[in-house]
Amino acid sequence: MTGFVDLYTEGNTFLHRVDPRVKITAVILLSILAFVLSSLEALAVLLAFIMVLVVLSRTPLAKTAFSFKFVFRLMLLIVILWPLFDRSGEPVIASFGPLVLTEPALLRGVTSATRIGCLATVWYILMFTTQQRDIVRALVKLGIRFDFGLTLAISLRFFPTFSATIGSIMDAQRARGLEFGKGGPLKRTRNYVAVLIPAIVSAMRTADGLSWALQSRAYGARLDRTYLRDFKMKWSDYLALAAVVLVLVLPLTAKYVFGMEL
Amino acid sequence: MIPAPSPGQGDDKIISVRNLRFTYEGGVVAITDLSIDIRKGDYVALVGGNGSGKTTFAKNLNGLLRPSSGIVTIRGRDAARTAVPELAKIVGYAFQNPDYQLFCATVEEEVRFGPLNLGYSEDDIRRKVERALDAMNLQHLRDKPPLSLRLGERRRVSIASVIAMDPDIFILDEPTTGLDTEESDMLMQKLQNLNVEGKTIILITHDMRLVSEHAKRVVVMSVGRIILDSDPRGAFSDLEILRRSNLEPPAVTKLAHALKDKGIPADVISPQELVFHLLRGGESR
Amino acid sequence: MKALELKDVRFKYRGSDNWALDSVSLVVEKGEFITVLGCNGSGKSTICLLANGLVPHAIQGDFEGSVEIFEKPVMGRTVAEIATKVGIVFQEPESQLFCMSVEEEVAFGPENLAVPRHEIRERVEWALELVGMKGYNDRSPFSLSGGQKQRVAIAASLSMHPDMLVLDEPAYALDPIGRHDLYSVLRELKGKHGMTVILAERDAEEAAAFSDRIVIMNKGKVVDVGPPRDTLRNPDKLKRMGIQPPQLSEVASLLNARLSTSKYSFLTVDEAESTITREIIGRGGVVRK
Ligand SMILES: Nc1ncnc2c1ncn2[C@@H]1O[C@H](COP(=O)(O)OP(=O)(O)O)[C@@H](O)[C@H]1O
Ligand SMILES: Nc1ncnc2c1ncn2[C@@H]1O[C@H](COP(=O)(O)OP(=O)(O)O)[C@@H](O)[C@H]1O
Ligand SMILES: [Mg+2]
Ligand SMILES: [Mg+2]
Repeated sequence: MTGFVDLYTEGNTFLHRVDPRVKITAVILLSILAFVLSSLEALAVLLAFIMVLVVLSRTPLAKTAFSFKFVFRLMLLIVILWPLFDRSGEPVIASFGPLVLTEPALLRGVTSATRIGCLATVWYILMFTTQQRDIVRALVKLGIRFDFGLTLAISLRFFPTFSATIGSIMDAQRARGLEFGKGGPLKRTRNYVAVLIPAIVSAMRTADGLSWALQSRAYGARLDRTYLRDFKMKWSDYLALAAVVLVLVLPLTAKYVFGMEL
Repeated sequence: MIPAPSPGQGDDKIISVRNLRFTYEGGVVAITDLSIDIRKGDYVALVGGNGSGKTTFAKNLNGLLRPSSGIVTIRGRDAARTAVPELAKIVGYAFQNPDYQLFCATVEEEVRFGPLNLGYSEDDIRRKVERALDAMNLQHLRDKPPLSLRLGERRRVSIASVIAMDPDIFILDEPTTGLDTEESDMLMQKLQNLNVEGKTIILITHDMRLVSEHAKRVVVMSVGRIILDSDPRGAFSDLEILRRSNLEPPAVTKLAHALKDKGIPADVISPQELVFHLLRGGESR
Repeated sequence: MKALELKDVRFKYRGSDNWALDSVSLVVEKGEFITVLGCNGSGKSTICLLANGLVPHAIQGDFEGSVEIFEKPVMGRTVAEIATKVGIVFQEPESQLFCMSVEEEVAFGPENLAVPRHEIRERVEWALELVGMKGYNDRSPFSLSGGQKQRVAIAASLSMHPDMLVLDEPAYALDPIGRHDLYSVLRELKGKHGMTVILAERDAEEAAAFSDRIVIMNKGKVVDVGPPRDTLRNPDKLKRMGIQPPQLSEVASLLNARLSTSKYSFLTVDEAESTITREIIGRGGVVRK
């Protein structure tokens, strides 16, 4: 239940200790790289690099497997679906009636899947090694308005609460003989209403209470708010940042300055 | 251990649980090892602090949760192999928070929802709904939107919607939390009526006053097991057991215990009783 | 100094037909521990919300009369401003804890008040220690029991160093032990810190022992104010207002009736035990085994 959103595992690896702002920057830069690279080989190297980082984060295998399951499913789906829409090029590998599978299309499918794989997994490095509150705090330090950071924090904080509530509501209706996933469309709609209405009512109550609680804890009292938690860039953080920038700049230089096909 | 239940014989045993163990997905063991028999027409108070496993146990009785191991038999049927809607006809369960289920435009519709799901005929449903509305004293509110009602009334609607499914067993999860004495007494009176009609009642609560006034049998739970199963008085004569299960005895019981070596019985549960014992000597002299 | 003064206050929630509070006048002195006692709907929560300005500032309705908090009118002050003087703990633990860790929760108030970082750290540790939640800094509020949540909520108010703490049925969702631990904290707040406290409750079994005064509410009106021994003296009267009388008051009142006296009144089990031992059992009131 909680595990679903909180991917963080306590640890003391280099990835845990590095300043969250550097990690966020790294994730963004690596994402840019994934967009820019176009060759399958280069993207595969990038994906492998990300995987090495994931291994270095010493995240328990169960959690990694759980998180990557979705990514691999998505990648597989792309590989399968891509050739359905992209039928250009030669040679044709196979054809079933109007469906043709060409080699370039397959390659493009695998390439896109790898890119998506990079884009999705790179975020896990951040999530696996950084507490949610530090991510939010880092975003605020990077210049995001405090209210937005707080909104994000509250959403993350209430996700488990809200999913537990939905679970209880579904249980409560099942105890009254309601069977989810059975019956015609009309009945199914009604089933959803039976969950949706109590969920909305409960969310509205929580929201009301929340706004009172925020005000009575002096939210918005002053503009020069202070923060208990703070990060200071250490020399190792600058080093890490430099390394990350290099990881972006080197391939870009190779590609655009020296014209390598990456 | 208690011998395994033998189906067919002793049919007044409406619930029989053998070595129930339940583990949540995250690995929390909520029920360690629990065995109990409950007879038809019994009125059991299931007490214990928050997190002692009461709700988990109840959900194992009506199929919302399936035992990790052990056997739950409801009226001779293995609960693990019976569909939830089938079980709902036998075991009614009113959730602690009525707002988790109320969603209809009127009280009457809300009460109809259960029997409608169970596929009863229209005539049948109409009869059951009327009876449920009567039983919870809701006739005058039948056209009102449930969400506009007071907490005590919403609780009654939620219980009526269970009554309308006409189960033999009623499990009520902390039905009096947040209610005033008056509302709570009225609700308890209604439950008493159901019990007199022969329904089996399982009342989950930590209000020891209610327990002392209504239950025939008290089952005390602590960290996933039963640590005491006795008549209500028995439960009050052992403060240690109550403390271990995060419960507090009523103030008069504490006072009676403090006066134990002065000859006051330790299982006193009402002010009237205590004063009776205090003054008995004086009167008889 | 007056911590709170209500003068002829009437309040009707928007969309409601009746007055939630009707001509309520009440003075709470600094350092007092006041228990507001009444059944559901009697107006306790509304009093709490008035005491920190949420009514009428954030919650709309018809408002008449005057409210002064630490001898300054609430009108013209924001809730956030009043929050530096008055902390509040609500009935539902669920929606008043919104941070991802206990520590942030307790730091949130002082952060908003721009308290310097090292001092926030001290306040957080002090407040968590006071409510018995030391060492829970990094836990998620979601993972705590109801009783622990409420104690964190108290700490989150105390860290703003308020002069008054308002608690609206804080033990509502708690089991007896959670309730007991919460009351220990309240007792300590009164005993060691002399905090001004307004506590709304539906029964006074625990609070009777250490409240300076009890305010009895019924249908939006204050019907009785005074020390617990006076206000809780008549259990039948309380019952008629839908309030569960403390059992010890019932014992005292039964003894008074049977012995044709009015001298008995018990606020604690210990007090009842010693008085009964001395005056009733001592005179052979009980059959000895
Ligand atoms: N959905 C759930 N997932 C994981 N653990 C749970 C869940 N529901 C309850 N628990 C845990 O199971 C134990 C028993 O809980 P519960 O049956 O709700 O107790 P009670 O009803 O006596 O308060 C507690 O430790 C609780 O934290
Ligand atoms: N948000 C609201 N909207 C309309 N009426 C309300 C609202 N909150 C409370 N009331 C009404 O105001 C009266 C007093 O309520 P409240 O102060 O909450 O009492 P208590 O806390 O003693 O239960 C009740 O009649 C209640 O129905
Ligand atoms: Mg429960
Ligand atoms: Mg209230």
